[in-house]
Amino acid sequence: MEGYNEILSVLILLTSFVLMANKRVKSYIRTFRLQSALIALTAGIMGIRSVINEGSYDVLVICIIIVVLKVIYIPNLLHKTFASVEYKVEKDFYFNIPLLILICCGLVVFTYFSISRVAGISEGEINSAVVNSVSLVLIGLFFMICRKKAIGQIVGFLVIENGLFVTAMFSTNGMPFIVDMGIFIDIITAVLIMGIIVFKINDEFDSIDINKLKNLRG
Amino acid sequence: MSNILYFMMQFITILLIAPLVNGIIGKVKALTQKRRGAPLLQMYFDLYKQCRKSAVVSETSSWIFKAAPYIVFSSAAAAALLVPATTLLAPEGFAGDIILMVYLLALGRFFMTLAGLDTGSTFGGMGSSREAMISSLMEPSILVSVFTLGLVAGTTSVFGIMHAMNRLAVPLAQPVFILIALSILIIIIAETSRIPVDDPATHLELTMVHEAMILEYSGRHLALMELGASIKQLVFITLLVNIFLPLDQFITLTGVAAIAVSLLLYLIKVVFVAVIIAIIEVGTVKFRFFSVPNLAALSFILAFIGFLQYFVLGR
Repeated sequence: MEGYNEILSVLILLTSFVLMANKRVKSYIRTFRLQSALIALTAGIMGIRSVINEGSYDVLVICIIIVVLKVIYIPNLLHKTFASVEYKVEKDFYFNIPLLILICCGLVVFTYFSISRVAGISEGEINSAVVNSVSLVLIGLFFMICRKKAIGQIVGFLVIENGLFVTAMFSTNGMPFIVDMGIFIDIITAVLIMGIIVFKINDEFDSIDINKLKNLRG
Repeated sequence: MSNILYFMMQFITILLIAPLVNGIIGKVKALTQKRRGAPLLQMYFDLYKQCRKSAVVSETSSWIFKAAPYIVFSSAAAAALLVPATTLLAPEGFAGDIILMVYLLALGRFFMTLAGLDTGSTFGGMGSSREAMISSLMEPSILVSVFTLGLVAGTTSVFGIMHAMNRLAVPLAQPVFILIALSILIIIIAETSRIPVDDPATHLELTMVHEAMILEYSGRHLALMELGASIKQLVFITLLVNIFLPLDQFITLTGVAAIAVSLLLYLIKVVFVAVIIAIIEVGTVKFRFFSVPNLAALSFILAFIGFLQYFVLGR
């Protein structure tokens, strides 16, 4: 069971590629749910280990919070937001998907070559898991850049947060409990506010395409 | 002696199992749709019937049309000889090169596309052009995954790779092999005309790819074409199961009994993968043709990240 975190980190990275390859808003919300479930699984395994080794329940509690918040609540909220704004099937990205995936591949190559040179990171058991998680942050950022719809931006933001969380977890076996709680409360307020803003954008511009935000309206 | 034994065993095994895989996939699909479905051995009956009928050849076609079924079948069979069903019976002085295997299959495919164009029917040409596009999209991911396997094992011989995998306890416990295995699974689906890419059960002119190319064939030519396609499918499945699910190292028997047990295990693994492929076929819809590059890009990325995992991080 020693190599489990590398395998899980690779699978989490894979879900981000699947996210990039998804065309429809619904399918990338679903992929985000899958990614969060994998992260919750990682946290669960780590939590059980820390309960056995150190007797602390912090990581396990965080795992439960992830399941409630990121696997159930936020995806449902996004689905509801998307269902209530005007539904139009249209091209949601600037380049075609193979090109997007190849650019992501470039990002992964970049992180692999840059992060694996950092002193100390290629020793011990954390190396490839950390590298994969940092790539996840960059891919989330790129996802935000390349999607046109506002919901895509929210998902990209959440993927960045997932990447940061996984990086922290793989490199330090979990941040202090209070820090994680703070981040989660930030996330939930941010998503709530963004959901409301999506409604407002849809009301004002009859679309959630962020290109329309360039036009001024009195 | 061992060489002759190996070739005989390999050829007979592949020839006998290949149509069965199609039968299993069809049966699983039928069962999920609450139908009873065709019998497992249906493809054998079809092949037998087709072999007895005379072949109709268009007057306007050239020699390529008549030669193509034999080339398709023999290239697939030659590729099948390079991919051992069991690693216990390795022939001496014979290096089954994995790159040669990939291009033997490509040779068969090349003649199949030519034959599709040869009769001048519109469907044949359409199928050929689509097939050429799919194969050119899939080739990078095949080669990257093959090269990564070669790098890890230190050889491009199929036997060498399988022996190297036998030495590992559980190959799928390492990220690089998970990635390559997923990539090869996507390759199998695309190469063998399975559902997200092409529907093997359809004769709808808008969607067929493989069926469009062999539309003009009849009789024994059709039988050879279909047998060739099913052998090609079994070759890829064999590659997948024997590299990523090696069980030969657990066999402690010797002699004929060991080989028999190994073949039985091989059959179970093939059935397992066939069921997985059938479930994928049931669970997905056919992609729009211009969405196939997305799948190809994903497969390429899987193989490439596997390569990076090994190359940069050294594991």
